[in-house]
Amino acid sequence: MALDIKPTRSELINLKRRIKQTSTGYNLLKMKRDGLFHEFRTLLSEMIEAREGLVGTYRDALQAINLASSIEGGLAVKSAAIASSKHPEVQVSKRNIMGVVVPKVEGQNLKLSVEDRGLGMVGGSPYIDEAADAYSLLVEKVVKAAEMEATLKRLLEEIEATKRRVNALEFKVIPEMKEAQTFIQLRLEEMEREETFRLKRFKNK
Amino acid sequence: MEIAVVGQLEFTLGFQLAGVKNLYNPSDDEELAELLRDLLGQEEIGVVVVDNFDLVRLPERLRVQLSESVTPTVLGIGTEEDNTLRESIKSALGVDLWK
Repeated sequence: MALDIKPTRSELINLKRRIKQTSTGYNLLKMKRDGLFHEFRTLLSEMIEAREGLVGTYRDALQAINLASSIEGGLAVKSAAIASSKHPEVQVSKRNIMGVVVPKVEGQNLKLSVEDRGLGMVGGSPYIDEAADAYSLLVEKVVKAAEMEATLKRLLEEIEATKRRVNALEFKVIPEMKEAQTFIQLRLEEMEREETFRLKRFKNK
Repeated sequence: MEIAVVGQLEFTLGFQLAGVKNLYNPSDDEELAELLRDLLGQEEIGVVVVDNFDLVRLPERLRVQLSESVTPTVLGIGTEEDNTLRESIKSALGVDLWK
């Protein structure tokens, strides 16, 4: 790169200004990377807890439905499953974490009441109700875990991109510009020396 | 947006009991892969729940695609813990922070 540039004073001034700007950008990006990483670490510990809770809840739900199937029969559980009138939905909105747009997932109708299940008070069974409650709780946890997982993935992508930018500035862009600056300074000094020498020779004649 | 559940009939039954309507029971691995690719492109699906046993049988490329997807977010659940997020953190940051 050093050979492609013109060794002039204006170029040197431009280069000095660009180095200063790039260094400011580099410092800002480094701060952004550290901030994102801090945010990521906080969310990650919550995510680990949520994941562990999810596995536990799934095991409980599985146990509850197996119990309901063995006591009430598979057909009764299936017909109870078909009867429910409402279904859970998720509302995905956006929020901003240090310039990274992450999804905010909110659940609606996650917990169905006995009436919503469509079986009535007489048609239902406590075992099926228990299984349905366990799965409603699981759906609630799934929604929470999905939001956190999506947020973590976005943050991870952004951390990776920022890390690449910081590294590129630190190890490629800034050193190349500094190299060019040194080249121009040396070339200008050389030209100055040549000029002085020429003047001296001219005076001697 | 809706929640979709993909897996064997025994896996999806409980979610149906909780009121989830989008249930898919693919008969073989090819159908499962095709179905998940299709779900990734559907805008009205916000969360896809998949059985972990099915997730591990998918082709590597699709698994990466699923783990990187944000909308819909694909969540694998099972009696054992799912390690896909842990692996992606490890490969992105170079350290295992899942502790």
